[in-house]
Amino acid sequence: MTLFRAELHRIARRRLSLLFGIFAVGGLLLITAIMWFNSSTGPSEADLAAAQQMADDANAQYEDCAADERYFENDPDYSWVADDPWYGEMPHEQACAEMFLVGAEAEDYIYVYTFQFDEEGVFLLIGVAIVTGLLSMLLAASAIGAEWSSGGMANLLVWHPNRMKVWGAKLAAALALCAVAVVAMLVLAFALLYLTAAVRGDTGTLNAAWWEDTLARLGRTAVMALGMTVIGSALAMLGRHTAIAGGVIVGYLTVGELLVSFVRFGVNSIKYPDLLSLYTWIGAWIEGRMELEYWDPVTGLPDQLVLTATHAGLVLGAIMLVFAALATWSFAKRDAA
Amino acid sequence: MPPVIEISGLRKTYRKLLRQPHNALDGLDMEVAAGQVHGFLGPNGSGKTTTLRALLGLIGTDGGAMRVFGEEVPRRLPQVIGRIGAVVESPQFFKHFSGRLTLQVLAESAGIASARVDEVLEQVGLRDQAKQSVKGYSLGMRQRLAVAQALLKRPELLVLDEPANGLDPAGIHHMRELLQWLAHEQGVTVLVSSHLLSEVQQLCDSMTIVSRGRRIVDGKVADIIAGHSGSQLSVRFADAGEIGRAMEVLASAGDGVSVAAERERLVVTGAPEAAWVTRTLADAGLYLSELTTETKNLESVFLELTGTAPQAGQPVQVGQAVPAPPVGASAETATGGEQ
Repeated sequence: MTLFRAELHRIARRRLSLLFGIFAVGGLLLITAIMWFNSSTGPSEADLAAAQQMADDANAQYEDCAADERYFENDPDYSWVADDPWYGEMPHEQACAEMFLVGAEAEDYIYVYTFQFDEEGVFLLIGVAIVTGLLSMLLAASAIGAEWSSGGMANLLVWHPNRMKVWGAKLAAALALCAVAVVAMLVLAFALLYLTAAVRGDTGTLNAAWWEDTLARLGRTAVMALGMTVIGSALAMLGRHTAIAGGVIVGYLTVGELLVSFVRFGVNSIKYPDLLSLYTWIGAWIEGRMELEYWDPVTGLPDQLVLTATHAGLVLGAIMLVFAALATWSFAKRDAA
Repeated sequence: MPPVIEISGLRKTYRKLLRQPHNALDGLDMEVAAGQVHGFLGPNGSGKTTTLRALLGLIGTDGGAMRVFGEEVPRRLPQVIGRIGAVVESPQFFKHFSGRLTLQVLAESAGIASARVDEVLEQVGLRDQAKQSVKGYSLGMRQRLAVAQALLKRPELLVLDEPANGLDPAGIHHMRELLQWLAHEQGVTVLVSSHLLSEVQQLCDSMTIVSRGRRIVDGKVADIIAGHSGSQLSVRFADAGEIGRAMEVLASAGDGVSVAAERERLVVTGAPEAAWVTRTLADAGLYLSELTTETKNLESVFLELTGTAPQAGQPVQVGQAVPAPPVGASAETATGGEQ
């Protein structure tokens, strides 16, 4: 327990933890500000009057055009229409309708975005949890990688020679920090976004069904964030350097997924190539259900594969366990210095 | 009292793909008695740090046995680690942590009261720099911090790898006094590996010299030096012209006595005692003006024992050292002489 507390202390006091914390909260505040200024509960009287004026102008222009057969020839701005063979073959009134709005209304000139918390808020909360998980993964990888590359790990093992205890404490500390960060960020995000929707948008209906569905999705996302932290720690333990762990993560997210895309478009023998992408399984895990479609090139008939959270959990859990097991084996067997 | 550290037949081979295996330890034996400052010497690549790492469970071994406080390590290391403070090589700390925070985190991990942190900072002379981040520490200050963290546990055995690295003369003097105080006043057993031979000579009570992963010699420092000095005498005459005749007289007077002229003196090796030289020369009507015993220092003994004395125009390569005695044959001990 003392080792766990010390590890927690060590990670929390790192400068990168502070930077990531500022980055996460700053990012959340930025998103909230964007939603705040973009969202509106409806147009003002002045906005409506201006839009009506624009609609009236458009309608008048169409009517002027329809009433004058030589409208295009006479207006230098539209003379090209008269010379265009495509428009030239049309009846004049149809060409006017093509060029101008027919029956324009004020709504055609008003763009009102209203932030719907019950619909869009959930996606934003899931995004916040994923980003927090990604930052926790990098933080855990950095904390362990830096200890290896600095010689701090060997120093720690001189104090605590039981390597499994050290690995357990480090992993537990990283997971505890991740859990606290995800919960804190979700609570903060919920508060900020709900307030934004209440003042500048629409909170929608947050009934029992909404809470059940939302909590299930956020819960699974939080579990995934913990899994990401385990993988980050395991990669740093295997590579013994932050750069190696970070390189593997970034390498997969860029080159790995690019290769999957090539396979997806280039190899026809795989019925559901989306199964090769980690994002597919992540999506299925968070959403709880994902349908993959396949159209038979011969019969033209559709086929479908349904992925549930259970399927995705087994696949993602297995990936995490493989990394964790390799890291445990490596730490137990390899020389530490 | 049984030795605090007992190592016998320790072997460690580093294997890398497409490379020849390297025997870092080749049947090393070592014993460290309680309450002493014990020096651990050897040329670069002789296996000193490997031995310390193995002793502390940082690396696995390929054979041999190690015991600390009578407990077999590394299997029973968790049971005795609380009694051991150690610094292996120069540990790098988190640069943005202060010296105090670095020690506090370690102390917290072992359930040591934070008051002890200030005690050890005072002991190693870092009290006034405790709040500075390690990033601003000099090499010597980092070394002091490393020793401070080794002292945190109030260890009964202190294992230090090159503790004087980067220290200024005052720092070296302070460290020497601290380690001797710990050993002689507090009963702490101190094992120090070092390349600073004059420092080892001043600091250590006993020592083990290793080469190519094996023990070359061990015993009390004074005994080892004495065992390799003493038999060489320097003789001078008022008239340097008598050197030639003196050489003939001494060479013919005793079996096993070798005499060499060196500038304006004679170097006599193998004489039974100094009085024999004066008597023999006086009997031949030769009267010497100066007779001195050539006293070797630890450096010359070390170079002789490890075979690493540089030859003119020939730099000594790392790993180039005298072949160690075969496994099974005991190394030389200062107290017992050649065994």
